[in-house]
Amino acid sequence: MKAVFLLLMALLVGPASAQGDPYQVLRSTGEGYASVVPGRVFEFPADHLPHPDYRIEWWYLTANLKDDAGRHWGLQWTLFRQAMSPATDTEGWDSNQIWMAHAAITTPDGHRHEQRFARGGVGHAEVRLENGAFAAWLDDWLLTGDGAAMLPGRLRFTVGEAVIDMQLASDTPPVLQGKSGYSQKSAQGQASYYYSQPHIAVSGSVTLDGKPTTLTGTGWLDREWSSQPLADNQQGWDWFSLHLADGHALMVYRLRHDDGKHWLSGSWVAPDGSARTLAADEIELTVLDTRRVRTPSSANPEATRDLPLAWRVSLPGLKREWTVRALIDDQWMGGRFPYWEGVVLVDEGASGVGYLELTGYGR
Amino acid sequence: MTPAEPERLGGVVRALLSHYWRHPWQAVFLLAGLVAGVALWSAVQIINSHARASYAEADFVLGAQATHWIRSRSGDGIAQADYIALRRAGFRQVFPVVQARVSTVDNAPLAIIATDLLALPEGMAGEGGDALGDADLDWLAFVRAPYQAWFPAAMADELGVAEGQQLTLRDGRRLPPALIAAREQQGRQIFMDVGAALSLLGRDTFTALAVGPISPDTAARLAAALPGDLMLEANQQRLDLTQLTASLHTQLTAMSLLSFAVGLFIVFNAVRFSLWYRRPTLRTLRLVGVSVRALTLAIVTETLVWSVVGCALGLLAGLGISHALLPSVSASLQNLYGAVVGADLLLDPVTIAIAWGMTLIGLAFALAWPLLLQLRGPVLPGGSASAGMLAEARARRVLLIGAGVLALAAVGVYWQMASVIEGFVLLGLVLFAAAWALPQALASAHRLLGRALAGAPLVQRWIVSDGWAQLPALRTAMMALLLALTANLGVETLVGSFRTALAGWLDQRIGADIYVNSAQLDTRGFVADPANAGWLATGHARTGVTLRWQGRPTKVYGLDTTTPDTRALPLAQSEPDALARWAGGERLILANEQAHYLGGLRLGQTVTLPTYGGATDYTVVGFFHDYGNPYYQFYLPREALARGWRDVSSTGLALWLKPGVSAETAEAALVAAGVQPGEWFAQGDIKRLSMRIFDRTFAMTAAMNTLTLLVAGAALLTALLAILHERLPEFAQWRALGVTRRELLRVIAVPLALFVTLTWLAAIPLGALLSWLLIHDLNVMSFGWSMPMLWSPTPALKLGLLSAAIVALVLVIVLSQLTRKLPQAMAQLGSAQ
Repeated sequence: MKAVFLLLMALLVGPASAQGDPYQVLRSTGEGYASVVPGRVFEFPADHLPHPDYRIEWWYLTANLKDDAGRHWGLQWTLFRQAMSPATDTEGWDSNQIWMAHAAITTPDGHRHEQRFARGGVGHAEVRLENGAFAAWLDDWLLTGDGAAMLPGRLRFTVGEAVIDMQLASDTPPVLQGKSGYSQKSAQGQASYYYSQPHIAVSGSVTLDGKPTTLTGTGWLDREWSSQPLADNQQGWDWFSLHLADGHALMVYRLRHDDGKHWLSGSWVAPDGSARTLAADEIELTVLDTRRVRTPSSANPEATRDLPLAWRVSLPGLKREWTVRALIDDQWMGGRFPYWEGVVLVDEGASGVGYLELTGYGR
Repeated sequence: MTPAEPERLGGVVRALLSHYWRHPWQAVFLLAGLVAGVALWSAVQIINSHARASYAEADFVLGAQATHWIRSRSGDGIAQADYIALRRAGFRQVFPVVQARVSTVDNAPLAIIATDLLALPEGMAGEGGDALGDADLDWLAFVRAPYQAWFPAAMADELGVAEGQQLTLRDGRRLPPALIAAREQQGRQIFMDVGAALSLLGRDTFTALAVGPISPDTAARLAAALPGDLMLEANQQRLDLTQLTASLHTQLTAMSLLSFAVGLFIVFNAVRFSLWYRRPTLRTLRLVGVSVRALTLAIVTETLVWSVVGCALGLLAGLGISHALLPSVSASLQNLYGAVVGADLLLDPVTIAIAWGMTLIGLAFALAWPLLLQLRGPVLPGGSASAGMLAEARARRVLLIGAGVLALAAVGVYWQMASVIEGFVLLGLVLFAAAWALPQALASAHRLLGRALAGAPLVQRWIVSDGWAQLPALRTAMMALLLALTANLGVETLVGSFRTALAGWLDQRIGADIYVNSAQLDTRGFVADPANAGWLATGHARTGVTLRWQGRPTKVYGLDTTTPDTRALPLAQSEPDALARWAGGERLILANEQAHYLGGLRLGQTVTLPTYGGATDYTVVGFFHDYGNPYYQFYLPREALARGWRDVSSTGLALWLKPGVSAETAEAALVAAGVQPGEWFAQGDIKRLSMRIFDRTFAMTAAMNTLTLLVAGAALLTALLAILHERLPEFAQWRALGVTRRELLRVIAVPLALFVTLTWLAAIPLGALLSWLLIHDLNVMSFGWSMPMLWSPTPALKLGLLSAAIVALVLVIVLSQLTRKLPQAMAQLGSAQ
């Protein structure tokens, strides 16, 4: 589950709901769209391509990288697909598909981000096979596979003047999240189809102000699609994807409920790609520190918000516990649909690195 | 000043101003003059500065800046694949634009503009954030079938389109459901999603791609990345519009200054009366020992008070008037120059400052100066009627001398005149020379009449000689009336002549039966196709290139020299046998009149044009009329154009039908050839359309004309009321002597009718002179269009009737006042002056 998802929905429903409760739309029934049911059999590489019967879908990549000096860098690249109506009219200007993309880069000097929009059906943005190879793009932001699969592949995009060109490779299978890819989001039955690739070797260059920097590290890919993912009483979420120093990967999230009884879930992925789903009672998330972060918008350039940027993540069943802290506070995604997402260090970097996403925190 | 003086000054100001409490309608007239003058002037200023601000945004498309355009060299439009390739190559500044003209069921033209809101580059999509940020924009509905068609409120009103309604076009196609809304720079265009427009128009190409702000490096890379048929050109619309519209704005300003002048006449009238009434007050104040300095200060204070109040009210009224006039000015600008003018009007500080300054200067002349003159006179004036008459005669002579000076200056300006502004200075000089000479002319005519009636019965002689008592008060009103009537007649004749010239020109030029403008059609192939031989008598496929000549956008057309329209091309000026020589000659060219009058080109001179092989010289053998076109234009034989330029595009096809063939046959053949309904016009439709555009364009002129005349009517009313009040005691005495009310009315009405008639008669030749100057000099200098002047008595007769109606109305008001006030005046007989 990703924050921008909610924001995209808010965007698509228009100003009335954006001024009211933008979350409301996520709770709409999704009537007419294909519904998410348990027992679906995933097929690769076909499932890397869009599922236009479903209302919403994304291709979501983050990467924790280091330069030759050992400094931390981070990349985020996300492509969202949204169907405006249940019809699967995907070609031409009448297409009911709309695309949005977000990208960000965290450098040793700071954080920059960008957002883009495009109509579906006309080639402005697509995810499909081009000459037999996987391709996902919006304008010149481009994720290509060497073959029909996403990986190995190449990611090229720009954020402002920064030019990013990365090679991606993985030798472990995709991790099907939840129950074989059926990821339940509430007790009322809201769910999504969800798979990840947490072990991606990433290498390439970022060119900033004309100077290229060679970077290497690990990436994380999330793929998710759904038609109705949120329950009535869910307000936002805290989402962790961590690459641990011992080769494990950990994904945990908390959907925050009005009554404080939050929905927790996650997965523990071994270095060989074998994964175990974590139940709610196997996860403990504790806020250690709340920071005041500058969250400027066009309406209020001086705005700030209090955000939990230091956490204790515990898996009592596995007797493991880590401190997760933001690399820098200022990793605000201040686009049209603002949220916080950025590089985090596990035990100050000694135990690993990762990404944290925080949504639904009011100003 | 002694310590007590400030308090005394307050008392003096109160004493002076108390006059207006006792005579509130007098304050109303003073204000009416100020407000009318300031309002009309400021309305035009507001519109002008607003239009200029809009030109500054002319390189914006629907809120997004377009520094460059990408267009197809062949005129075929931009393939979607080319656009997508540019976006995928990272040129995110590029966004698609579709523009088209369609027609309503009644054959009114509609302009459509479309883009993809999602493709507008972030941060360049208009004020207050990006394109998707507009709170009133439900863009989900905008980009999705059945889409939305955005009508600006004024357009929706004119077309009678209600929210949600789907407007039906002439060929039966229907627009998306209407939304009464407008984006920035939408102008008089219907805005919709690009997908909606392509599907409505049955096209698969964009008109052009707009390019947002880019660095010179990126522009060079973009130009290099374009496929061969596409070209990148800088958007020069802002510069072009500022240059092209300068004349129109000068004309509007001139008309507004005239209105201001007429407004000042009302002030003069009102003040004249206030002076008369305040003589005793001033005298009393002087007699009780108030110093001249304190009185002067008081008068300055009064002037300031009036200037602030009058200016503020005038500006408010001006804002209102500008809102009312804006649609017609916008229509003029869009019809003539394609300039899109927004709908938000604002008063800027400069306009406010100038308005106040003008009001102050006007009041200084009309109010403060005469008051001060009076102040410096003897404390107890003789006040005899004969002294007044002598002063009046002296004033008339001074005015006449002034008129002579102005007339001489006018003659001087006429010989030197080179710019539009000088042209209007000349018009101003002529108008004011005439106005200043008018009182003496009226007096002379009156004297002649008096002599002619030397032996007539007493009543007639009395009535005529009473005119001498009225003339001083009516003087300024008559001058205002003369200005208004002359301006009206002059502009009427100009518009009428222009309309006739345009209609005649259209009859000559629009000779074919059907005109086709379609990107899909292979025009020459269509004409040559034997399948069309059964119904098609002749076809004229024109070609053209757009280039810049003398820094302005210029079109060079290639004409088929054998078709009827080319053979009968009406030329305004030409060398002998010009058309035949041009058709057969090498390097001979025809130019429009604009190139002659505005571009300075003469017969026999050469024009150098940038052809494919380099700069090439062409010799001008003739100038053709080209009404309504603000741009330079040249005609070459089609073959010569093809030799000179590679990227020649088809610019339309004219079709002559064989006798007895129905239009339906031709239209069926066009549809079969891929032409969309709406891409052809029948001859009659084009003419009607052109005349409608003409009428819209001159709607502003008509509106200003009417307003000026209304102001003059108000001046007349104030003058007569002043007469009434000045002479009420006199009238009361007459009544006491047994003069009936009917006789009294005759005494007032006959001299008035005489003066108005004389003024009207004077306005007829003056109006003709004005229109002659407008047509022969100003119009040519402003637009480069020449035409014969057509004088007609109808406007003069109409204005005569209108003036009579105004006089009658004014008399009714005066009579009712007289009836109401006479009894009291009679009761006061003998009690005071």
